[in-house]
Amino acid sequence: MADTKYIGQNYTPPDLVAKVTGRARYAEDFRAEGMLFAKLLTSPMPHCRVRNIDASAALAMPGVKGILTADDLPDLGPNVERALTNEPFYAGEPILAVAAVDELTAAEAVEKINVDLEPLPFVVDPLDALRPGGPDARTTGNVWGAPMPGGVGPNAASPVKTIKWTGEQFADADEGRLPMGEPTEQWAYGDLDAGFGNAALVLDETMVVQSTGHHPMETRSAMAYWQNGKLYIHASTQSVAQTLPNVARWCGIMPQQVVLISEYTGGGFGSKGGGAVSTCIPAMLSKKLNGVPVMMRITREDENYIGRARTNMSGRTRIGFAKDGRITALDLFIVQDNGSYGPMGDHRSAGLAASIIYQPQAMRWRAISVLTNTPPRSQQRSPGPMQANGQRAKLTSAFIVEALDKGKQAFRWDERKAYSGQRRGAKVRGVGVAVGPHGSGSIGFDSLMTLRPDGKLYVQSGVGNLGTHSVMDLARVAAEVLAMPWEKVEVVWGDTGKGVPWSCLSVGSQTTHAMTRANFAGANDLKRKLQEIAAKDLGGSPDDYELSNERVHRKGAGGGLTYTQAAKRAIELGGKYDGHEVPEDINVMTKGAAAKHAGLGVMGVAKDNYPRNGTTYSFVIGFAEVEVDVETGKVTLIDYLGVGDVGTVINPRSLLAQIKGGSCLGIAHALQQKWVFDPKYGLMLSRRFHYSKPLTILDIPATMNADAVGLPDPETPVGARGVGEPPVGAGYGAVLNAIADAVGVDVFRRAPVTSDLVLMSLENKKRMHEPLRAHV
Amino acid sequence: MAVIRDVMPAFELLQPTSTADALTLLGRYGSDAWILAGGLDSFDWLKDRIKRPRYVIDLSGIDELKGVRERNGGVEIGAMTTLTDVVRHPIVRDRYAILMDAAESAASPQIRNQGTIGGNVSQDTRCWYYRAGWSCYRAGGNICYADTPESINREHAILGADRCVAVNPSDTAPALIALDAEMVLRSASGDDRVVDAEDYFIGPGTDITRMTVLRPGELLTAIRIPGDWAGARFYFEKVRDRQVWDFPLVNVASAMVTSGETIQNMRLVVNAVAARPLRLVNVEQFVKGKPRNDQTADAAGEMAIEGAQPLRFNAYKVPLMRNLVKRAIRGVGEWATS
Amino acid sequence: MGYFLTFGHSPWGQQILTHVSWNLLWASAFAGVAFLVAHASYMVLSAHRKRHPAETDAMEAARPDLPARIPRHSGVARAFHWVMAASMLTLLTTAFLPIAGIKFAWVQWHWMAGLLLTTAILFHVIHASFFMDFWSIWVGPKDIPELKAEVMREFGHDVPGPKPGKYPLGNRLYHLALVVVGLSVIASGLTMMVRVRTPLFPRNPYLFADSTWGFVYVTHGMAGVALVGLVIAHVYFAVRPDKWWITKAMIVGWITRRQYLEHHDPARWVVDGNPKSQIPNPKFQL
Repeated sequence: MADTKYIGQNYTPPDLVAKVTGRARYAEDFRAEGMLFAKLLTSPMPHCRVRNIDASAALAMPGVKGILTADDLPDLGPNVERALTNEPFYAGEPILAVAAVDELTAAEAVEKINVDLEPLPFVVDPLDALRPGGPDARTTGNVWGAPMPGGVGPNAASPVKTIKWTGEQFADADEGRLPMGEPTEQWAYGDLDAGFGNAALVLDETMVVQSTGHHPMETRSAMAYWQNGKLYIHASTQSVAQTLPNVARWCGIMPQQVVLISEYTGGGFGSKGGGAVSTCIPAMLSKKLNGVPVMMRITREDENYIGRARTNMSGRTRIGFAKDGRITALDLFIVQDNGSYGPMGDHRSAGLAASIIYQPQAMRWRAISVLTNTPPRSQQRSPGPMQANGQRAKLTSAFIVEALDKGKQAFRWDERKAYSGQRRGAKVRGVGVAVGPHGSGSIGFDSLMTLRPDGKLYVQSGVGNLGTHSVMDLARVAAEVLAMPWEKVEVVWGDTGKGVPWSCLSVGSQTTHAMTRANFAGANDLKRKLQEIAAKDLGGSPDDYELSNERVHRKGAGGGLTYTQAAKRAIELGGKYDGHEVPEDINVMTKGAAAKHAGLGVMGVAKDNYPRNGTTYSFVIGFAEVEVDVETGKVTLIDYLGVGDVGTVINPRSLLAQIKGGSCLGIAHALQQKWVFDPKYGLMLSRRFHYSKPLTILDIPATMNADAVGLPDPETPVGARGVGEPPVGAGYGAVLNAIADAVGVDVFRRAPVTSDLVLMSLENKKRMHEPLRAHV
Repeated sequence: MAVIRDVMPAFELLQPTSTADALTLLGRYGSDAWILAGGLDSFDWLKDRIKRPRYVIDLSGIDELKGVRERNGGVEIGAMTTLTDVVRHPIVRDRYAILMDAAESAASPQIRNQGTIGGNVSQDTRCWYYRAGWSCYRAGGNICYADTPESINREHAILGADRCVAVNPSDTAPALIALDAEMVLRSASGDDRVVDAEDYFIGPGTDITRMTVLRPGELLTAIRIPGDWAGARFYFEKVRDRQVWDFPLVNVASAMVTSGETIQNMRLVVNAVAARPLRLVNVEQFVKGKPRNDQTADAAGEMAIEGAQPLRFNAYKVPLMRNLVKRAIRGVGEWATS
Repeated sequence: MGYFLTFGHSPWGQQILTHVSWNLLWASAFAGVAFLVAHASYMVLSAHRKRHPAETDAMEAARPDLPARIPRHSGVARAFHWVMAASMLTLLTTAFLPIAGIKFAWVQWHWMAGLLLTTAILFHVIHASFFMDFWSIWVGPKDIPELKAEVMREFGHDVPGPKPGKYPLGNRLYHLALVVVGLSVIASGLTMMVRVRTPLFPRNPYLFADSTWGFVYVTHGMAGVALVGLVIAHVYFAVRPDKWWITKAMIVGWITRRQYLEHHDPARWVVDGNPKSQIPNPKFQL
């Protein structure tokens, strides 16, 4: 889109004032007459079976209204996580919930409940589960098999299998080399043997990447009540339209019976993609108690367990380089710690990412996804590129070279490189660069908007408001297409009762791409209807009309209708013009929403049917300079720059914040963030928020820079792609590379690179850290 | 009985407005009473329902326990003075910059606005086994979960362990010991006493369930810092995983008087390596009269770590402590610009 | 049960046995002191039988062949006894003073004293088995007549029947109790050293299951508190004036001929008149 008025311009999103003044109401801010509070009783063991629950003493307490157990929840099918369970697969998994007049009473009631538990074998380290005779996380097996036939997407349904490797395969484990037994999945292209044969240098290295909790600021609290057979639920979720059917499924009802309200969400980072399964607990408690409102505020402690985490992986890479640095062959083996539920597909995404980042001439990827008795995982902001479906993706576009050139200059790379590795006093500096790729856009969703007689454009937004601005940005496209002053655009979001179109999940950096396309389609549908109405009234062909100054008028400065007049005319005309007739190909949810808005004005409603050739990927290049204190091992990030190749920029301020913020998550993973388990009891030690050590403002330079090349993606009409995730890998890789540049590539083979790790390696002139163990 | 965390149980909140009233309440309720200063340590315990006091005595309304006052050429800091107020006080800035640095390195700005210096020195250990409510020695049990072949003990002790391997996490404690401060303790029984800061802290050998000599019924009311070390050559450094809201992996605090480049006198304290802040008297003796150079620093560093016994994951604390002691003596080289 | 045993909970919330209740310490101490008071009162108030000096004079006259000093405890045996006594007192002090509220770093002293005691007892077992009259200290059915006679004598009756051999029955019963309690406390104590840090082996509190550890702790605790009572009784007898001659023998190694004849049955504790045999016969004398 050339010559734009809104796209590419900063603006103040309409929800901002409410957020910064505290007026915004999040799920736990809602109150209702007679509302009860729920508290969870969670498993103290990493794997056990509930033999008996004696809640009589709790139920006899004044103020205690009822309990909910797994037996009260619908069966969701084999291997599918439910909100409550009779066989906890991780410590902290909810067994039951108590509803009482207040939280204090509910908590006291929980303490009065006797749950008789039978301990079962458990495992917290994925390699232990693969050892001969090692424990299995489930009684049915220890790994997820390859997806079942017909399985689609990275988390396609898989069978639980048992695979044990041999003692011989573990022979080198003590020396830090990842064992490579039978994988569950693999793919390859090119001639691997020839690639290694032709290589001037072949390396074989093992790297251990940690798991981290998502820890969004807002926990997954929810409040629910029932009225006239309908469930009203206030929930914290990343997506709105896409969460509705999930809530219905978890509660065993039809989507039409659910009204979901989620106007503000305090972040999710992938942990609340399609909502949180735990939100059905207050809903089902309420149902059991005749619809009385039930609030379940999730504590930070609960969130730590049920709030999802990144999969941790151990990867062994054999890599061949030609003399010119070109990678001739890459043989990658990944052991993924899938956690207790899933199945997760991050290991697949990581393999694809490796093929994209390193562009090897030949590559083999082998992997196994191991079940452990640790909290469930979900994709965490950039788990590796997702949702690609080929082994070597054909990309819609990539301007990595342009981004690298831009960043190299802006970062003064050559100047900094000149002094890297030199020691001054106790300090030594290093620079690093990394490419963060990520799938960044889906297609095929719907748009719904109405131009009404009040002269305003109402854009219905079905994505979540999780802090990224994309919930509003998507309406900028409609304003652009319809030449609508932004102050007259009302974005309606966060309440399925108000009618929202079928939208993408607000995950996987999809939204900007998917929903600018959809709204481009919807706005063009509305534009066409305006042109048709004008042609009907004023003669000529619709194509003779254009839009400007809130009017549809003959090209040039000819006659036309104001938007207000056109909206009234649309209502008179009815049919498709005011939404009484809608396209066949739109989703049933969009049809329902359109029905709510029919007759209110000119309706733009369409499905994104634009073609796309290739897989959509965004890239961020991270440039980092670090300073390592060789006497303490402490690494300090001195400077950072992220440069995005993310297509057309819709909202520059938000984009740059995303690049910086996403990079910060990666930086945290490189430097400090992790979680830790006690292996003897399988319990999490880093359960307190501060033990997991997310990044703070003082861990990054006072100013961090970001930029974007701003070249449009040719395979999408607006040219824009998503950006949420690519910077994470960029920040992570750039900082790790910078540390290696400063103190040597052999100092670490695991992340985060904390001071103990650096100091011990420097002190002993060799790596001293645990080579393979997870969660330390 | 099921366990639930992160929900504060009910207790009776008592809010005296004078030290005398607080002592009366302490005398009345004895070990049923919990002393609440800034609450940063207390609320953790209370919200986890691990410590279940019947009475909580909130000291925040006692003005006489707040503030920094000049006293006998030094200062007296009320135990309820917030860390922020300590950091901002001009006398502390001018004469006891080490205490300013130490207090400013604690926790986060929000926590320092609420947390008090009395609470900071009296806080309980942060061993994550103990804080999770595991019934270890410190909690009255008969096992240390942090020192087994499988424990994850990166943050634990390398010195002075006795069954328990927890460490003292305070940042201000080593600075106060370096300044030769005294702790003023008042008691419900009228048995008031003043103890050296160094002796305020105790290891597990002495009492495995307590971090300080503070007895039930006793109250830390003030900290007195003499003028002796005012304006000395100070060094404070805290190494931590992140730059805010983090406890020390190791910290060091020292006060040094030099004549030319000769060390005339020094007090040197390291914390987070043992259950109590360790004053390194042998190192202090050794450096006295020696030139302040690399050679002295190296020898002092080696001397400091004598007898250190690392656990599986905390061996790094040995060179870290050694290097911090070296730096306390000879300083640290920096890049001139960024 | 709570009065006798203490329970904790595992990190999984399961109830586990952790120790004996320290109520038992006070119970044992009380029992020891109560026995002491009762016995002392009886001795003061009762007119229990004492052998007439003339009788002893006659016996002494009949055995001029006996040396004036009858060897009773060899130097090695006395050294063992006092080393054991010192380590035992150290063990009890280090174990129970902190419980009584006097806090100090006791663990290292405790296990080191424990090792000393273990070494001493190992020596004693070997020494007693191969170099001493092993059976002279044990109690068996054959002692029933002595028991009857001694009880009657205690109550002031002049009865026939066996008099004590080298070790009076009371001594031997006490020894038996000490063997049972001491071996329990040592076996459990050595095991418990795995739970604390020593230079001897890696600390491993996970060596046994919680339930096994519970049993070990309870054994150690039970034996420990029993020792408090036993030691009180032992020290009481050691310092009683009428038993002083026995205590003195443990210091100097011998008793007088008169004490020998007065308190022992020469038939059961044969002392050879041959001056040569004044040199203690290792097979016999201890």
